[in-house]
Amino acid sequence: MHHPRMSSAAPARPRFRLPSGMRLINTLCSGWTALIFVFLYLPILLLVAYSFNASDLAVVWAGFTFDWYAKLWHNGPLIDALENSLIIASITTLLSVLLGTSGAWLLHRYRFPMLKTLTTLVFVPMVIPEIIMGVSLLIFFTVLADPLNNLLAHFTDSEFGLGFATVIIAHTTFCFPFVLVAVQARLADVDPFLEEAALDLGATPFKAFLLVMVPFLLPAIVSGALMAFTLSMDEYIVTLFTTGPESQTLTLKVFGMAKKGLDPSLNAISTVFILATVILVVLAEMVRKINR
Amino acid sequence: MLLNPATANQRRPGFLGWLLMTPMVLWLVAFVVVPTAILLVYSFCQRDELGQVVYHFSWENYRRIFIDSDTGHFGTVYWTITLRSIIYATFTTGACLLLGYPVAWFIGRAPERRRNLLLTLVMVPFWTSFLVRTYAWIIILSTDGLLNSFLQYTHLISEPFEMLYTPGAVVLGLIYNYLPFFILPVYGSIEKLDGSLIEASFDLGAGPLRTFQRVILPLTWPGIVAGILIVFIPAIGMFAITQLMGGGIKPTIGEVIQNQFLQARDWPFGAALGMTLMILFAAVYWFTARRQQAV
Amino acid sequence: MKLIRLLLACAFVGFLAAPLHAASRKKAGLNLFCWSEYVPQEVIDGFTKETGIKVSVENYASNEEMLAKLLAGGAHYDLIQPSEYTTEALIKAGKLEELNLANIPNIKNLAPEFTKLPHDPEGKYSVPWMAGSVGIVVNTAKVKTPVKGYGDLFDGTHKKRIVVLNDNREIVSWALSFLDHSVNDITPETLEQCKPVLEKWLPQVKVYDSDSPKTELLNGDVDLGIVWSGEAAILFKKNKKFQYLLPSEHAHRFIDSLAIPKGATNKENAEKFINYILRPEVSVKISEAFPYTNPNAEARKLLTKAQLANPASYPPGDPKLETFSDIGKMAKDIDKLVTDLKGQ
Repeated sequence: MHHPRMSSAAPARPRFRLPSGMRLINTLCSGWTALIFVFLYLPILLLVAYSFNASDLAVVWAGFTFDWYAKLWHNGPLIDALENSLIIASITTLLSVLLGTSGAWLLHRYRFPMLKTLTTLVFVPMVIPEIIMGVSLLIFFTVLADPLNNLLAHFTDSEFGLGFATVIIAHTTFCFPFVLVAVQARLADVDPFLEEAALDLGATPFKAFLLVMVPFLLPAIVSGALMAFTLSMDEYIVTLFTTGPESQTLTLKVFGMAKKGLDPSLNAISTVFILATVILVVLAEMVRKINR
Repeated sequence: MLLNPATANQRRPGFLGWLLMTPMVLWLVAFVVVPTAILLVYSFCQRDELGQVVYHFSWENYRRIFIDSDTGHFGTVYWTITLRSIIYATFTTGACLLLGYPVAWFIGRAPERRRNLLLTLVMVPFWTSFLVRTYAWIIILSTDGLLNSFLQYTHLISEPFEMLYTPGAVVLGLIYNYLPFFILPVYGSIEKLDGSLIEASFDLGAGPLRTFQRVILPLTWPGIVAGILIVFIPAIGMFAITQLMGGGIKPTIGEVIQNQFLQARDWPFGAALGMTLMILFAAVYWFTARRQQAV
Repeated sequence: MKLIRLLLACAFVGFLAAPLHAASRKKAGLNLFCWSEYVPQEVIDGFTKETGIKVSVENYASNEEMLAKLLAGGAHYDLIQPSEYTTEALIKAGKLEELNLANIPNIKNLAPEFTKLPHDPEGKYSVPWMAGSVGIVVNTAKVKTPVKGYGDLFDGTHKKRIVVLNDNREIVSWALSFLDHSVNDITPETLEQCKPVLEKWLPQVKVYDSDSPKTELLNGDVDLGIVWSGEAAILFKKNKKFQYLLPSEHAHRFIDSLAIPKGATNKENAEKFINYILRPEVSVKISEAFPYTNPNAEARKLLTKAQLANPASYPPGDPKLETFSDIGKMAKDIDKLVTDLKGQ
């Protein structure tokens, strides 16, 4: 029987009723998020605008020009510096994710006798003032260099010195606690029998971890990875003390340029980088859509 | 109090457990314990004429941190400075909490395919150089800057408003730099929230506020704590922002420590200040962690 | 998942690229450790082109950073760029190589007043690179009353319109000059005398900035400042309303030099480089990029009128200039004094 209410016409609800609680919250949150994004991107838009600034001092506007982008092409050291920053940040992120995720999971899973000491130790790199970390690692690497080089001389021609390896180690040391803390938060109320179920169904512990735990932790891992990458890209002091001449990063260059005056080539390279990232992310999305 | 059903499943580590733990332990020992120990040793030393360290044991540095040399009482300028840094960090963390939670909520409840995109978009501004970003803020906030020009143009104010080089500017700068670091860990917790729990709460008659207080908040609490940790602690030691946006008028503890290593070249005193700060935090962390474990 | 794969791919590529990259870079013939943005790239490139010696450059932003890395060992530098008090300290501690002046014939190009300097009386260890001063910049469009020295600057009429360097030693030296002491006369007694002076001065400061005090002056946030002469020169080039003057009390002249740390592996290449930059035409390029005071008399003859007329680069008259000498441990007390005053 054709009931009038079952038709696909307008719903029977009166139109002046407030949306339900959840929808209200979600609408408010989306509006709020939009505002926050405006806040986050406002300086960036300015940054991009000033990359076309014809003046060589960042704070004074003097007309429109594409010059800085053209000069960027020839600015070898600056591009090298960006390259170095990216390499260091990528490897740091990878190592931090590995150490942080496994660390968080192990600390959660097992009741280690020195659990509290371990967690406090993990916490230290987050607390320690950057310059102290930089100086102490510099001393450590220096002290280590001579005996290590004597040992290496038996095998290879290359030398241990300040450079990529030391910067990556330093960055990873203070980045991985951030990953660990993020993953730990997600592990806090996890269903303890998630893994048990997988094991019961015949998976090896390793497979259970990889196919059950990791996907579950993925959002937290992604959070941690993004944080680690950002921290590494922006790090100045620790990099300064643990770097060698080959591994000058973009941040070091930028801070150095502050004395002479930040010229818009920095804005230009930042803009290029952001553009490249956004394009990459959009491409990734498109590939994903195709895959589905 | 937070229930931790997971601890019920914890077991003592077997051989495999220890084996898997070794990389992290080794890393911590090599790159955290040893350098910290070096600094601990330094903190009891003195500097020589050139600024190098003289290995001569003395409590002098610690005495200088805690006891005022003029009056002989407890309480020195370093306490004031540290307190000020902590106050800045507290305001920053509070603001990040209020501003960031709804964003984390939105991203966490967004359709799955959009989440990573949104997260990346949150982070992208921070892959520009720190100095360039901060100078952008200076251009916006300065006396002849964009915001003042805009406000004067629209006749909202008649005289330029001094925004830069104030504590407000410092907090703004801090919030700007730490907001994503709050959003990200909280997102991790929100994302796993079971929608049906919220629906159940509504079905049982609770309004949005009640649901938030009784269901959402407790379930996302670990994420919030993580976010607070990640923002509050580093914010205390941060000084580049206070120097650039605050004009360096009121030094922060991070700046003072930096000065010991660079300007005063009194590494032992810098090490002592750093040690004190670290021990303070480690102690607080230790005690709060114990309370959770005791459930 | 895609993002993870993307990151992993980047990291993988990076992993492969890094060692390849490092391998492709030849071992450098000269390790230069210098101030950021103080050695123009074209000078380095010119040197490499002519001699075939590859130069690897590492930067620092303050003397103390340089000292920290140098003294900790770790990296092997062939050339460093210390300021005068740092040079003095390094010479005293025996950390510099004696220069083989036979390899540096162009040293005759230096102006006579730059050859026998207080920090290196025999000129055996260092060669001046650039000199400058610390003085007062006035935005004459906003400030109409005459300002001749620290006394006028801090007389109270410019409260909170002043930017000064965030360098504790500099700050104390201004107080010392005001009290008619030498800038190097740093003892507990003189520091006590500085205290009330600074107590009166520091609250009038709006911004402390050692990196780029020109920013605040250009922004209109401040009208006057005590800044490095190089900053003032850039400001003057931008707009002639920014006038630079040396305070009527004493003023600090700094001299940055090139020096070779003890144990440097490429000493001869380093000396070649020093000789190269002492050529007038090369020295001019440095002046063009950084409008400080060029100690090279032959190079000065090649500078343009506008450059020579910049009061920040070449202050007129006969000012009472003093260089900083090494004060060793007193740096600690200076830091304590200023931190105490600022922190209240």
